[in-house]
Amino acid sequence: MKTFFKNFNARKFFRDNYTGWLFNLPLTVGIVVFTLIPVLFSLIYSFMWRYNGFTFEAWGVHNYALMFTADWGEVSRTFLNTVIYSVVSIPLSLVTSYFLALLVNTSLKGVKVFRVLFYLPVTIPAVVSGLLWKDMFGQTYGIFNRILGLVGIAPFPFFAEAGTSMVSVFIMNLWTVGGGMILWLSAFKNIDKQYYEAVQIEGGGRLAGFWYITIPMSTPMIFYNVIMSTIGTLQYNGPLTYAPNGGRGWDNSLYMYAVKIYQEAIESGMIGYGSALAWCFLIVIGMITVVLFATSKWVFYGEEA
Amino acid sequence: MRSSKRSRLALSVLLYAIMGLLTVILLFPFCYMISKSLMTSSEVIQPVPLFFPSVPQFSNYLELFSTGRYLSGFLNTLLIVVCNMIFVPLSASLIAFSFAKLQWRGRGFMFAIMLGTMMLPGAVTQVPLYSLYFTFGWIDTLYPFIIPNLFGGGAVYIFLLTQFMRGIPRDMDSAAKIDGASALRRFLSICLPLCKAVLVYVVVNVFLAYWGDYFGPLMYMHSSEAPKTFALVLFENSTEGDAAMDRANIRMAGGVFMSVFPALLFAIFQKQLIDGVMVGSVKG
Repeated sequence: MKTFFKNFNARKFFRDNYTGWLFNLPLTVGIVVFTLIPVLFSLIYSFMWRYNGFTFEAWGVHNYALMFTADWGEVSRTFLNTVIYSVVSIPLSLVTSYFLALLVNTSLKGVKVFRVLFYLPVTIPAVVSGLLWKDMFGQTYGIFNRILGLVGIAPFPFFAEAGTSMVSVFIMNLWTVGGGMILWLSAFKNIDKQYYEAVQIEGGGRLAGFWYITIPMSTPMIFYNVIMSTIGTLQYNGPLTYAPNGGRGWDNSLYMYAVKIYQEAIESGMIGYGSALAWCFLIVIGMITVVLFATSKWVFYGEEA
Repeated sequence: MRSSKRSRLALSVLLYAIMGLLTVILLFPFCYMISKSLMTSSEVIQPVPLFFPSVPQFSNYLELFSTGRYLSGFLNTLLIVVCNMIFVPLSASLIAFSFAKLQWRGRGFMFAIMLGTMMLPGAVTQVPLYSLYFTFGWIDTLYPFIIPNLFGGGAVYIFLLTQFMRGIPRDMDSAAKIDGASALRRFLSICLPLCKAVLVYVVVNVFLAYWGDYFGPLMYMHSSEAPKTFALVLFENSTEGDAAMDRANIRMAGGVFMSVFPALLFAIFQKQLIDGVMVGSVKG
């Protein structure tokens, strides 16, 4: 480091590196202005008590204290909802989409058409699917209860009761199973057929092929998707589009942490408190990511890695 | 031999049956939305919900756009989407070129920082960005959805493009370099044309992201006088308009309108989209 500074020649450094930095300039500027500065300011705001964007009353940890005292009931509820949602929906989608991918990973005629059809529900924008499911899940006027009635099943309350709300979201998410299917299919496609032949020669069946080849060879894909979908799912704000009570669901049954941040900071204008909520969120997500990476020994990156 | 042929036939019949059943189930919401969008205003408020309209009301789609809110929402969305479809791939590939094909000090550091932003939850930056945009005077305008994306438009796209450009043989680049081609020249005439497939992926994904986005507009186009996007208009009508159930048919028409383009794009570009997913998840 010392020699670096001793020998540092600004003019030479500029001459050797300016093209690279010039091409990279949009990213550098973008990250500084739209990521680094906001993250930094978010940290500062979080220590400003009753900051509404214009004025504040005091510096200190009041916002954080509020989270764990007076507002703890709601904070813990939203946190728990978010964790339950993530812990169920990520594995559920991985497993169901795996079976769907197996089903369409054949050479039957027209199977490609089915792949497209199965993926279609995924292409529906979130706001539209929220509006649609709210309509279909209506307790008295919804089409799903009409169908249940036709086969003689009592109406299901869906989002109209706290106890059934979360389950209804999981049911609803089954319709987007095609998204995971695509990922599995591309993972299958990347696996060399030779490995399966080797298993066959060794006398192994389909199950052995699945267990010793498909799963290990798909682990990089599974790992990447677990990381990305964990980060994404923890920030889930979908209930805004379909849950009653302004996106909270009855009895806060669908009140997600990300929705709380939005409602506190933007709807109620409590920028300081919202920032504190967001920073705790960042720390939790950071810790989860670190744990996921630390326990990633099961990921198989091929022979050379 | 015969029995194995027969059992194979039975298996494929079974597979078709399962796939057919799944198609019916998975496409039901989509079809129901189309059906409901064609009902009359009195049909959608029947106490026992109907499956089909007695006479399809295609005029609902005309009515959708005769209400100024949806029309102006569509035009705003169109403006945002088109700008991003042009600027995001352009700036992202410029940045990716600097990572993949240029030698410079600080490259590894910037790449690591960029990957770090991929992990950063958006919820953390949303609130201060609101303050920042407020300072810039961007709240209740379209700027928050266009200007920040002139700077690469997101780490995922840059990462994908970088990975792809790294796969382009070095010889092609070196040859041009020896011939005295500038970096910009090599970027424009060698690198970009070879990236066509990934660029298609980026363009389509940019469309999907901004076409359907309601949460961003909800944050930054909050007030009633603000220009709205189509998704936001639909969101507001469906969350605030619970009392006005008679407009459900028009809302459904809006939903169909919003869903048709993403569905078509997927059907057309499925190969590029699936390959793009692969580049991201397998090489990542």
